Amino acid sequence: MSGAATDRDPAAGDAEDGWTIVAAVKQVPDSDEVGIDPDTGRLDRANAPAVLNAPDRDALEAALSIRDAVGGTVTAITMGPPTATDVLEEAVAMGCDDAALVTDRAFAGSDTWPTSYALAETVDHLDADVVVCGEETTDSSTGQVPPGIAAHNGWAQLTYVEGVDPLPEEGRLAARRDVEGGHERVAADLPVVVAVAYGEFEPRPAGLHRKLYAENDFEPMELTADDLGIDADDVGMDASPTQVGGMETVEPVDREKETVETPAELLDALADEGVIAR
Amino acid sequence: MTDAEAGDAESAPSEVDRAGDVWVFIEEHAGDVMSVSWELLTEGRRLADDLGDDLVALVIGEDVGDVADEAIARGADRVLVADDPVFEPYRADPYGTQFRALVEERIPSIVLIGGTHTGRDFAGRVAVPAHAGLTADVTELDVDEDGQLLARRPAFGGDVLATIVCPEHRPQMATVRAGVFETADPEPEREGDVEAVAVVVEEADALTEVRERDVSDTADITDADRIVAVGGGTEGELGPARALAEALDAELAASRKAVDEGWVDGARQVGQTGKTVRPELYVALGVSGAVQHVEGMNDSEVVVAVNDDPNAPIFEHADYGIVGDLFEVAPRLTTALEGEADPEEVLQ
Repeated sequence: MSGAATDRDPAAGDAEDGWTIVAAVKQVPDSDEVGIDPDTGRLDRANAPAVLNAPDRDALEAALSIRDAVGGTVTAITMGPPTATDVLEEAVAMGCDDAALVTDRAFAGSDTWPTSYALAETVDHLDADVVVCGEETTDSSTGQVPPGIAAHNGWAQLTYVEGVDPLPEEGRLAARRDVEGGHERVAADLPVVVAVAYGEFEPRPAGLHRKLYAENDFEPMELTADDLGIDADDVGMDASPTQVGGMETVEPVDREKETVETPAELLDALADEGVIAR
Repeated sequence: MTDAEAGDAESAPSEVDRAGDVWVFIEEHAGDVMSVSWELLTEGRRLADDLGDDLVALVIGEDVGDVADEAIARGADRVLVADDPVFEPYRADPYGTQFRALVEERIPSIVLIGGTHTGRDFAGRVAVPAHAGLTADVTELDVDEDGQLLARRPAFGGDVLATIVCPEHRPQMATVRAGVFETADPEPEREGDVEAVAVVVEEADALTEVRERDVSDTADITDADRIVAVGGGTEGELGPARALAEALDAELAASRKAVDEGWVDGARQVGQTGKTVRPELYVALGVSGAVQHVEGMNDSEVVVAVNDDPNAPIFEHADYGIVGDLFEVAPRLTTALEGEADPEEVLQ
């Protein structure tokens, strides 16, 4: 748990055995189904079905494409209750070799700090060369966990990644990053945490046989706080620096909602509003 | 301070008690400062005045002396400058390490960072090792009577505004969306201290290497008075939208869909994970109107929507709507704006 640069593992990214790739995914409430309770004004998440966070499908594709290029294995991991196994099965159906459920009551109520800590310990435990995450989750939209994992372990990070280019002979991973107003190509030492830009990777469909295997025969390994050497006091709600202090619904802005038929009519209206000259 | 807290007075003061200043990170790339940094200096000035604390600007880069001077003109009491070639161009690990060292040494109360890709990239690299609270994509800032930061951010696509607090850890960090705060004019006669801090990063320790960098689209849609925004309905055919933008003297902007498809650069994205804009006129062409998009343009003065789907949610957020094919409507608008008779109306 240090932010300083770690000594590079000489075996990291060994080209002969391929890379140990970990894809970190999350189960989230289906954002299309999350409503607001009309009585309390609170979010009603309980009734929304739980699904794989959509940006994580891109992460799985990126992870699998790295394996296609350099060999090795892809292990999907998720932190959550036992029911989160569903998203791991989806990952295995897509082609992941293995999967791990990081689960412990001690993790309940974690904000991004303990979440990234627990995942950092997990990917370290798995001896990851590359960790691939989605850009952000649809239920909390912070995008903070991938840099958090990298920071906890003192590893390199590449966020907003639109394309990956493994360089096994250098023991590095190069990536095209989306930066404000343009792009850059960055090469990072292994181990590295990658967060892929949503919409930039075309997720492969699950094969039928793989799907049947994932649903019927596959069991993910389970990792508890104890397995990972995590003290229960360092995770969960009490170890979370941030708290939700309140929620309020946003009042919609009052708009005219006037339908106009022709461009000329529109321009007249805009001229009356004073936003264009006519 | 409550009695219970006062009872602990014999032990070392907590980081909450020791924390002081309001910090704003000034994001600079090759001499150009992102406008969100100046927005945050203006907002940070307000918070620092409320709290009775100093406003400190943090500038990291190479040859950034002019940026430090401008930060004072724009409201900073003090500027901390880490000036070294290792910081140009930006990389998460050198920035994160330097910023973290300063945060841990000086324990600011509040740290505000622009919610750009760069800001969101390295903020976690500071907050995690410092065990600071970090709130993402903030659109409103305030302090309560105890001096605690109230960071408000849209949740669940903008239907809800969540207030995030950080009671027991310092600093209280936030990445703040570009465009939500106004920028005050600089006052060149303002005085302040510029401090060159020790650079704690060496190139040999860097974990990453930037091999190419191409930043050509430096448009800033957050300042635009008029915007023409394109969405999935354009199917990537941006000619009519560009022509209309030119006729209106407007900036081109885009929904997330149009950015994800690669039609428009991400710097022009409006909404959640993009920017907040507040132009006088916002023309949405083929934008469906997902809440995540609307959240970023709802403060526009007048909103026009053109969409061929009469049930598109964007019409609920528009003052004037035309249900129709944007490939017919936009050129007719352009023609009319250019002062020529609309051929279809002449025929009627």
